[in-house]
Amino acid sequence: MNISIIGAATTKFGELWTSSPRELAKEAFNSALAQSGISSSKVEALYVGNMLGGLLGHQENIGSFYAEELGLSPVPAFRLEAACASGGVALHNAINSIKAGLYTTVAVLGIEKMTDAGGDLVASALMAAGSDEERGSGITFPGLYALMAQAYMSEYKYKEEDLAEVAVKNHFHGSYNQKAQFKFKVTVADVMKSSRIADPLKLLDCSPVTDGGACVIISSDPKIISKNSVSIVASEVGTDTLALHKRASFTSLNAAKDAGRRAYARAGLRPVDVDVAEVHDCFSIAELIAVEDLGFSETGKGASDLKKGKFTRGKGKTIVNPSGGLKACGHPVGATGVKQAVEIFEQLMGTAGEKQSVTDAKIGLAHNVGGSGAIATVHIFKKNNF
Amino acid sequence: MITTPVKLWRRGKKLVNHIGVKGELLYWTIVRVPPKNFADQAPYPVGIVRLGTGEMMVGQLVDWTEKDLKSGMRVVAVMRRITHEDKENIIPYGIKFKPL
Amino acid sequence: MVGIVSYGTYIPHYRIKIEDIARAWQKNPADIVDAIQVKEKAVPNTDEDAITMGVEATVSALRACGLDAKKLQSVFVGSESHPYAVNPSATIIAEAIGMGNHYFSVDMKFACKAATAAMQVTAGLLGSGEIGYGLVIGSDTAQAKPHDVLEYSAASVAAAYILGSNKDELIAEIKEMSSFSSNTPDFWRRDGVRYPSHFGRFTGQPAYFAHVLGEAHALLMKSQMQPSDFDYCVFHMPNGKFPRAVAAKLGFTKEQLLPSLTVDMVGNPYTASAMLGLAEVLDTAKPGQKIFFVSYGSGAGADGFIFETTKKITDFQKKTIPVSTQIADKEYISYLQYLQKTHKL
Repeated sequence: MNISIIGAATTKFGELWTSSPRELAKEAFNSALAQSGISSSKVEALYVGNMLGGLLGHQENIGSFYAEELGLSPVPAFRLEAACASGGVALHNAINSIKAGLYTTVAVLGIEKMTDAGGDLVASALMAAGSDEERGSGITFPGLYALMAQAYMSEYKYKEEDLAEVAVKNHFHGSYNQKAQFKFKVTVADVMKSSRIADPLKLLDCSPVTDGGACVIISSDPKIISKNSVSIVASEVGTDTLALHKRASFTSLNAAKDAGRRAYARAGLRPVDVDVAEVHDCFSIAELIAVEDLGFSETGKGASDLKKGKFTRGKGKTIVNPSGGLKACGHPVGATGVKQAVEIFEQLMGTAGEKQSVTDAKIGLAHNVGGSGAIATVHIFKKNNF
Repeated sequence: MITTPVKLWRRGKKLVNHIGVKGELLYWTIVRVPPKNFADQAPYPVGIVRLGTGEMMVGQLVDWTEKDLKSGMRVVAVMRRITHEDKENIIPYGIKFKPL
Repeated sequence: MVGIVSYGTYIPHYRIKIEDIARAWQKNPADIVDAIQVKEKAVPNTDEDAITMGVEATVSALRACGLDAKKLQSVFVGSESHPYAVNPSATIIAEAIGMGNHYFSVDMKFACKAATAAMQVTAGLLGSGEIGYGLVIGSDTAQAKPHDVLEYSAASVAAAYILGSNKDELIAEIKEMSSFSSNTPDFWRRDGVRYPSHFGRFTGQPAYFAHVLGEAHALLMKSQMQPSDFDYCVFHMPNGKFPRAVAAKLGFTKEQLLPSLTVDMVGNPYTASAMLGLAEVLDTAKPGQKIFFVSYGSGAGADGFIFETTKKITDFQKKTIPVSTQIADKEYISYLQYLQKTHKL
């Protein structure tokens, strides 16, 4: 069965004060639908990825909420939550529902509104992705990834400047992305000068608080899938302990590594086959761990490979985070996993505009992580060649 | 952090298992932008500690100086207030780690 | 025979120099230090309170004697800074140290003598055969209003004593005890008010001295003893001046008093003051030595004890963390940090 993306779109990402969650969802869905060329009556189900609708907006029953808003009622609608991997998990379940033969064409919406709440409430709400013990310790998400950064730097003998290169590359990529939250470039010196959030991570090591929506329409209908589509050849999910300190390693996310391994196996592909990837760089260290977990770099070599330009547009072979990643494009947590699929779609289709970072690319990969690695999704995409 | 008297009551029963147990600091960070309710304690280090029993824990470091923040530093688990800012509700006590 | 089986003390890590407090208020530091004869005081961290300190002191006391916490049959906590006005410190501490459910317990209040009063009540339960082991804790995070004279001495410490009635386990016996009280409003705090109030010089002669001397004379008469019969004397230490003055007035020598004078380097931790002084004496006392002890609590009253050390004390001293070691384990903080740690900012 070929399940393909037939339409994909995101809203602008940023501090969107005048946009409500409903408006963001409508915009993303309508754009994706228009691109797909089908009418909304063909959409048989809606899968929504969202983390903070309840914690920040007091809104649950989110599947139904958006089915109504997008004019899709009475079709089935579901909300999936897996912290920052909500989008990837929503996509995974949408794919499964088509594989199960329940539906043929499904919409997947990733949506998050974070700026209606105060900063400290958002920081506390995000810690819902961690464990009770972690919350009781007063640690924050920057803190958890800071612990990983410390372990990674001491194990593989890297410095804070090596981590800063991730922000430099992703801001460079993001400067080409019209929809990115931040379009300015940064230098290593800029990152090193920025204020410390949780040692050793500084402000410019951390992805921002963002509002945004993203939508993909996927289908298995051979009449709808045409040359202008990208098929999803693997969709895998992995889990691990909720708390960082209970893990077997602090420098690798086994949830992502295992999901990646299964995804490559299912698709019959290897890491070296991937032309373009969107990985979960919630913090600079996260991208270094991601490229190693996904096999783009050998263990401990992620930082040195990145510094050599192996993942940078114009220089590298596997371009990582052409959208600017979570760091520069922004991270509306529940939407990110779906936005990654949108980006890979555009890169493989050659419709990414100024941010086009690959030519004639065939294989793309999206890596979406929840919490400090408690859950991760890996999707592999292939340009259809009918 | 949503802590109700009932949740604190259940958790409180386990404190006796950790108070006074010694361990080793593995990794730490200094939290400078604290979450809600921890503002009056910031900045503070939070570390991953391996207890002598083999159990792994995460917790705030207290009564610390810069020179204490070294991988392998010996610590002991102590009972402290988790947060202080809420003046009306039941006081949340928990485990923190003190350099030996 | 009833007496002390074990003790443990806890002094928080931080100190502030009295001269630094004086400087903050543009007073002459030398004048202040000279007047109250306190050099520095112990400051709790933001996350410490009378309960957390009480747990530390008790864990220390249990570790020193190896007693199973479930054998403790009573827990009385004396404090002027119980974290709750209603909700017992005693049960929170009891659970944290693993006492089970079968024990007598209550929180006690009588200004600085709340814990020594608890010792007398515990001695009663032991003497009557009602219990075999009892735990007494004196613990305070003493509060003082900024710029008030109390700010120079109000400190934080916890002291835990395990009392028992098995002669073979005692490191010191209680030979005699009595108490002297009257209605004297020298120092008080109304319900709901944050800081205590006091009436200046009225806290001296008619309060501290009248009651300590009243109890001391009664105790000496009851025991038919005189100051020269004792090796040590311990008094409540609201500052460095009062205990020196009352000791001299009673006829005790400087040598008898000095080993218990913790106030100079720790300040006045209210209910734990005299108990800390007693601990410092017990840290170095030899077997068969006699200790004269009178505490004081405003409002007002004084609890008196005569202790005599046993042969067991020498072995015990090897297992405890001496008060002097804890006094030396310190880090100085500024006046600003002091205000932050004691929640005034």
